[in-house]
Amino acid sequence: MGLSILFLVQTPPYKSENPKLALTHALAGPLTELHIDEEVKTTVAFVGDGVLNCLKDQKSMDHWDITSTEQHLRNLLLSDVPVMVCKEDLEKFGISKDRLVDATEMGAEISIEVVPFSEIQAKIDEATALMCF
Amino acid sequence: MNLALFVSDLRFNQETLDRVTASNLGVFLVENGVYHAVLKEGGSPSAVLEKEGATVYVLNEDLETRGFSGDEVDDRAKVISMSDLVDLIMNDYEKLAWL
Repeated sequence: MGLSILFLVQTPPYKSENPKLALTHALAGPLTELHIDEEVKTTVAFVGDGVLNCLKDQKSMDHWDITSTEQHLRNLLLSDVPVMVCKEDLEKFGISKDRLVDATEMGAEISIEVVPFSEIQAKIDEATALMCF
Repeated sequence: MNLALFVSDLRFNQETLDRVTASNLGVFLVENGVYHAVLKEGGSPSAVLEKEGATVYVLNEDLETRGFSGDEVDDRAKVISMSDLVDLIMNDYEKLAWL
C-alpha cells in the first residue's frame, strides 16, 4: 500500500516561506518513488488565508528577483500533483475562479480544483499523513 | 508628532492602531499588509482603511508580487513605489514603528 500525503496551506504567500515549502515538498513526493519501493501520492489543498497563494499574475521576479509562488504552483500542475482550493474561502475574499493560477497553456493536463471544504475534509480523512503549513 | 506605522500582515492586533493618534499619521501597508487595501473579506473593506486622520499608503511592488494591481486598490489608500516610500519616511515622518 502506498503513501498519500496531504499538504494543507493556511498562510498567505511571501512573508513566510511556509507555503513555498509545502509546494516544493509536495513536488518532491512523486520523485520519492525512484528511491523507495512504495508509491507516494501528494495533494495540496489551500484553505483560509492560504487561498491567496493561488492568484495569478504574481510579479515577484520583476520586483524582488525571486521565483513566484505562482511558478511553484505551475510546476505542481505540470507534474500532475492535484491542487485543491477551498470554495468558501475564495468566496469570502471575493476571488473568482478566473483569477487563479493556470498552467494549461504550458501543457498541464490538470487545473486547480475549486472545491467545498467538505471535499478537503474527505481528503484529510483518507490521507496517510497530513502536513500543515 | 509625525508617526509612520507599518502594517505587514493580514492578521494583526489592531488595538494599537485603533487607539494611537498623531498630528501626522501615516499607515504604510507593505508585504502581506497590502491585502488590507484590496480585499473585501465577507464583502467588507478592511477596518485599517477607516483609521481616522491617517493617510494610508500601499506599496505597489508588494501588491503586484501578490497578483494585484493598483487599479484594484480602495480609494482611501494611495499606491506608492518603494522609492516614494523611502522619500516619505525620510522627509515626512520622524518616528517609524511596525505593528
